[in-house]
Amino acid sequence: MGKQTIRERIPAFASILGLLALIAAYYIVGLIRDANVAYGLKAVVNQSVVVALVATGAVFIYTLGSFDISLGAATGVSALLGAMAYNATGSLPVMFLVCIGVAVAIGFINSSLASVFNLPIFVTTVAMMSVLSAFMLILIGWNGAGDTIKVKARDVRPLDNIPFKVAVLAAYIALCWFVFTLLPTGREAKFIGGNPVCAKLSGIDEKKLAIIASLISAIGIGLGAFLTIVYAPTLNKDTASSIGMDVIIAIVFGGMPVSGGPRSRILSAVVGAFSMGFLSQIMSMLNLGSGYGQMIKAAIFLLVVFIALGSQRGKLLTR
Amino acid sequence: MKKTRLLKNLMLSLLIPCAVLLVLEAMALGKGLRLFANADSWKLFFRAVANVTLTTFALSINLDSGRFDFSLGAVSMLSATVAGTLAQQWNVGPWPMLAIAVAVAALLGLLHGGVYVLTRIPPIIVSLGMALFYEGCAFAFTGGKGVSLVTRLDIIGFSTIGHYILLTAVAVALIVLLFDYTRFGANYRALLSGQKIAVETGIHEIGNALGCYAVSGALMGVVGFISLANTGSQQMALNFGSIGVMFTAFLPMFIGGWIGRYINKRVGIMLGATSMALISLAFARFNTASSVQSIVSALLLVLFLIYLNNEFAILSRFRKKQDAK
Repeated sequence: MGKQTIRERIPAFASILGLLALIAAYYIVGLIRDANVAYGLKAVVNQSVVVALVATGAVFIYTLGSFDISLGAATGVSALLGAMAYNATGSLPVMFLVCIGVAVAIGFINSSLASVFNLPIFVTTVAMMSVLSAFMLILIGWNGAGDTIKVKARDVRPLDNIPFKVAVLAAYIALCWFVFTLLPTGREAKFIGGNPVCAKLSGIDEKKLAIIASLISAIGIGLGAFLTIVYAPTLNKDTASSIGMDVIIAIVFGGMPVSGGPRSRILSAVVGAFSMGFLSQIMSMLNLGSGYGQMIKAAIFLLVVFIALGSQRGKLLTR
Repeated sequence: MKKTRLLKNLMLSLLIPCAVLLVLEAMALGKGLRLFANADSWKLFFRAVANVTLTTFALSINLDSGRFDFSLGAVSMLSATVAGTLAQQWNVGPWPMLAIAVAVAALLGLLHGGVYVLTRIPPIIVSLGMALFYEGCAFAFTGGKGVSLVTRLDIIGFSTIGHYILLTAVAVALIVLLFDYTRFGANYRALLSGQKIAVETGIHEIGNALGCYAVSGALMGVVGFISLANTGSQQMALNFGSIGVMFTAFLPMFIGGWIGRYINKRVGIMLGATSMALISLAFARFNTASSVQSIVSALLLVLFLIYLNNEFAILSRFRKKQDAK
């Protein structure tokens, strides 16, 4: 093993360098445009924290080489049922427990279906996404209060502050980091993602790990659902709808390979989620318009992934 | 012997669409309805066959090669937007507009493929970036207003059963020809079954992949055109709002894969799409709520996958029971 040159090391830090560059760009653009940088920073945290929570948990699923597209719909259903529980009981702890409980139940159904019936996880989650999105419509219909389910804003306002949200995120990251880094679960998940055949022959129970990964991810979904209600207490059919795709983008943006395996890292999700948050805020400050803003976002996303891939490109096309 | 096998394969190929038709017709009769009650029912059915068949081809061409594509809906939206806007500005009829939509969509597919082969980023990631990029392009192109052709009766008048059948038949014929009877198709199948060996024997993988993306794009151009000509308008979508189009293609793709054991796979996909079109028609005839439609479609997908992934175990249990009798 020779010493790595700076050029060889760049890909490993591309995502973090990307985040630092975006933070710098955010301050520079804010200065040039004379924007309220502190207010924008609050918006970045509010936008990014839910994606970061869901994406951090999803790292376990992605590490296994699996893929879950139903995370956004699961967050939406958890939030709707949590809000309904709050309206019925007036208790924030009950709302919190319902958010977590519903997310765990959905995660368990998802992973059990895939494990027991040997279904391809991606297609199972596509089906689950349809079912959950439809269930959101049914829940809103049942509630009988128009197109929304509302929690009184003043009831959740005490929790709608940055320190609380950052504390929730930090606690969850610490839990995931502990499980992923210090317990055999993380090592086994990386092994399965890197070489499933070899992992199976070594006696690692793939089905059990898939269920554990879904359950850990479900806690992130439940926390994300809870903070969604706290931030935007008027929920509708589109609540959290974009989170499923945002999570994939965040994980890849954060430098983790979508195929999982040994290069998976818990912090990728947080780096990616905040990179996206800063990028959106920069686009908003530049006032480019939604279309051009999204085009630039897409180009930067592809550029960061391209740099992060580094020298891993082979002779054959990647599949 | 050969004739018997042919007959058996034909019967098995038609098993799913016929069974779906019988079950749905029986359900309709139970409600005092007929599945094909009037001309509108036939039109809806053939439009669904065309849309689902073409989308499923577009998805499966790349997915079979391990290239997942989230950008299909965005390609359809952007090509229809460009074609609709140009048709308005140049005052051209439906056929030139269709040609523009197909050409633009093929170019978009080619650009997508180009980014993929140049950057070597995993295809699923490239497709996410391209979906975002194309959605942004469509939005910027129309200033977010979308396209409206409601006053263009010549274009809206294109939505006839005859045209739907023609477009489906031409697409199926061209895809069968391209993938089963040309060198391109032979290379595609070789790369599909053994990428490394195929490349080492001299097959040009990059050219083949670019071709697949272009064909897939062209098919989505037709889908975009059909949708725009039918409704007379094209709405814009941002933040992955366009990816839902692709999810309609999963069930017909798996059904097509099963039917493909007995008949040409592309024809199998068309028969799978026909089964889905019958289900869509039944939803419309029974006035089924969209939430219930989503749940039923998802359950059908899961049930079919459970059967496919456990077929051996299910069949051997069934045979054991028969032997015991």
